[in-house]
Amino acid sequence: MSDSKLMKTLLALMLVLLVALAACSGDSDDDQSEGTDSGSDSEDSTETEDGGDNELYSVEDFSQIKSNEGEAIEGGTLTFGLVSDTAFEGTLNWNFYSGNPDSQILNWFDEALLTWDENYVYTNDGAATYEIDESGNVFTFTIGDNVNWHDGEPVTAEDWLFAHEVIGHPDYDGPRYGSDFTNIEGMAEYHSGEAETISGIQVIDEKTLEITYIQATPSLITGSIWTYPLAKHIFGDMEVAEMSASPEVRENPIGFGPFKVESIVPGESVTMVKNEDYWRGEPNLDGVTVKVINPNVIVQELESGGVDTVSEFPVDQFPDNADMSNVEYLGMIDRSYSYIGFKLGTWDKENGEVVTDPDAKMADVNLRKAMWHAVDNTTVGERFYNGLRWNATTLIPPSHPEFHDETNPGVPYDPEAAKQILDEAGYVDVDGDNFRETPDGEELVINFASMSGSEVAEPLAQYYIQAWEQVGLNVQLIDGRLQEFNSFYDRVGQNGDDDPAVDIYSAAWGVGIDVDPRGLYGRDAIFNFSRYSSDENDELLAAGVSEDAFDLENRQKVYNEWQQFMIDEVPVFPTLYRSELVPVNNRVHNYYIGDGTNMYRYDIAVTQEDTIVAE
Amino acid sequence: MWKFIVRRLFVTFPQIVLLSIIIFILAQMMPGDALTGLIDPNIDPAAIEQQRERLGLNNPWYVQYADWVKGAVQGDLGQSFRYKMPVTELIEQRMINTFWLSLLTLIFTYVMAIPLGIISGRWNDTWLDRAITGYTYIGFAAPLFITALLMVWIFGFHFGWFPTGGSVAPGLTPGTFEYFMSKLQHLLLPAFSMAVITTVSTVQYLRSEIIDTKQKDFIITARAKGAPESRVYNRHIFRNSLLPIAAFFGYEISGLIGGSVFIETIFAFPGMGKLFLDSVLLRDFSVVSSVVLIFGIAAILGALLSDIILSIVDPRIRIK
Repeated sequence: MSDSKLMKTLLALMLVLLVALAACSGDSDDDQSEGTDSGSDSEDSTETEDGGDNELYSVEDFSQIKSNEGEAIEGGTLTFGLVSDTAFEGTLNWNFYSGNPDSQILNWFDEALLTWDENYVYTNDGAATYEIDESGNVFTFTIGDNVNWHDGEPVTAEDWLFAHEVIGHPDYDGPRYGSDFTNIEGMAEYHSGEAETISGIQVIDEKTLEITYIQATPSLITGSIWTYPLAKHIFGDMEVAEMSASPEVRENPIGFGPFKVESIVPGESVTMVKNEDYWRGEPNLDGVTVKVINPNVIVQELESGGVDTVSEFPVDQFPDNADMSNVEYLGMIDRSYSYIGFKLGTWDKENGEVVTDPDAKMADVNLRKAMWHAVDNTTVGERFYNGLRWNATTLIPPSHPEFHDETNPGVPYDPEAAKQILDEAGYVDVDGDNFRETPDGEELVINFASMSGSEVAEPLAQYYIQAWEQVGLNVQLIDGRLQEFNSFYDRVGQNGDDDPAVDIYSAAWGVGIDVDPRGLYGRDAIFNFSRYSSDENDELLAAGVSEDAFDLENRQKVYNEWQQFMIDEVPVFPTLYRSELVPVNNRVHNYYIGDGTNMYRYDIAVTQEDTIVAE
Repeated sequence: MWKFIVRRLFVTFPQIVLLSIIIFILAQMMPGDALTGLIDPNIDPAAIEQQRERLGLNNPWYVQYADWVKGAVQGDLGQSFRYKMPVTELIEQRMINTFWLSLLTLIFTYVMAIPLGIISGRWNDTWLDRAITGYTYIGFAAPLFITALLMVWIFGFHFGWFPTGGSVAPGLTPGTFEYFMSKLQHLLLPAFSMAVITTVSTVQYLRSEIIDTKQKDFIITARAKGAPESRVYNRHIFRNSLLPIAAFFGYEISGLIGGSVFIETIFAFPGMGKLFLDSVLLRDFSVVSSVVLIFGIAAILGALLSDIILSIVDPRIRIK
């Protein structure tokens, strides 16, 4: 039941109770119970009428771009609902932020110097352009002449270099210093304090910067370049350790995007006005207000016109609100997938790599494949998510259309095949308890870790357990219950202390804009929670980022092979792909979600001063 | 009395130390830490580990506690990991919001409770009294968060009379009249929702005290001397019946800083209660410890204040 329904039901129930209690405090109990029953009954029946439990939707029916009805006016302000149950942190600078809420605000007033297309490859349409030399290691960037900070100072190559210097500084307290930076020549020496400057970054002139990378990989042009400058004329004299807490980040943040921050109510809202000097042109809107709204009231805020659009919308609330009259839903395939993982080893903290254990309980690939065969993810997607999540086939989701192998069917739902595989592999029921034993005749109990949080978490976990039971596998929830987010990831091994009690787990990944899966499945990746490793996997993953992979066809071939390889080996199996929906008020023009739409925020306009209210 | 206060403070000091240790250990025992939420393939795990090391999250709890106490004694409660700002500053920001919310709640509570209590006590066992006690029973039974949700739905969304979240409308300049009015408007609904529930115990106290006092000998004397009914109630009964409420007042004051987790969460009101809950959920340990410490100190001081108030309003009570 959606939250709005829940509230309505509660309201009805409470009112009935109130009336019953207040009116007949001395009367018999019968009246009360009757009143309560009828109240909840009528709610239930309306629920099934308009709940649309069986109605199916498909993400393909949604557009990424808002259709424009009517004439846009000049000016107007847009209210953007930042959906979050906590206050936003207020670290309003790309170089220091760490939370998603902050990035939602940053998007409005600051931007990256390079933009990317629908395949997440950097284009030359952004505030800066780039050229790669023949070796593939040296990039030359040119920042547009009309790109200026909000205070009128030009965005310079110095600023871009300065961002690298700050992030690479030992005192830097943000989370950005990683392999993207250590891949720059001289960065490691600078970070350790051996060098005063970063030898791989040269400022050619005011607007031109040259960066030399150690290893040329196709990943460089799909998101591995740091494209956010840091205003040196503001931060230049500050201690690196003090920058992220400074008023220049928290109270008067600066950028070069289409809007300028006017005022901030800490943790609650940010008011912005248009940046007339924006390098693409003057924005249509006069301003934008970003305000935090609680996830419980998203629908009400949209209906009452409190916000024009929201940063995210829970898809499980969509069926109940599909015909909201004042909004249009935009949709796209989310860069993420749900999956079930098998624990196949442990993490070696000393050497920072995966140790695969050939004797692990789940080490038999036949067992793993049978478990994939046993679950019907198409039905799960339809029943639990009305088709807005759907059966996943490979570990590269369709949000990366260039690399997702559409022709690969994955492992289809086929319980008979599952039984057959198990029979052949020697997993048979010896002691007659309807559960299969291991080939050695020992009892087989598989411990399943699953996360709490969403409303369907519990039934979903139960569904999987039943599906496995039907092919004769005894799967039990760890501790007999779902795990809370933090303890789930502790036990699965986010710190490398894997809990040996976990045999299988169900989780989800949001994937980066770069398709390279090494961060999740590489031998040295701590996030490789299944702890699977093999030489062939290493080879394929390395081939995907080799120099040969600069050739798109070659890279596609490698990743198609890798997708098939993971299907053959099943260290984890994907269960559902996801869609992302965003409702937008009918008065808004030129709104868009996702990448590669060739639309920009300064285009956004409105058709009337006030937000349209639902009928 | 000063002796009493000093002695009392002396006793409470170890309580606070013990409280802080327990809180610290409990916080450490929670699974995960402030960096757990950063499980993101776009962020290098090495960078996360480095931060963990720098923040001292890998140290045993007593080392972290010692570090924290060292700062706390000097008035530095540490740095919030999540907000990347000093905890003292963060708490100051939130405490102002919570203070005004609680003050308004307190005003609403007494404005509603005192007349209701007097009416209920003076004309007890009439229909009016039954209606009022009926309300107090519902108030006792109805959980605060359900009431608050109902209020948001009815007055916030259905009628649209009040804003449903935040502490002030975006884009206003602090100090202006509009800013003040917007703040007040944002406070009304949460304060009223909370008052509707907190008022019931006060009503009940007042009612039973009045009924009790009504039958005391000195009231009969007053009546026998021919004092008019209004004088009997306003001078004799009312003053004597306020004693427990005055005692309660000390605790209420400590609530001024504590805020309410429920109300602030439902109304998305950035105050202390919400800060506490968010920090627990996000494992922002330095904030959790500091906030709980402040709550603890407030509660202990509130109890002290109650005793002092009581001794002032009731000369029969002598603190030694």
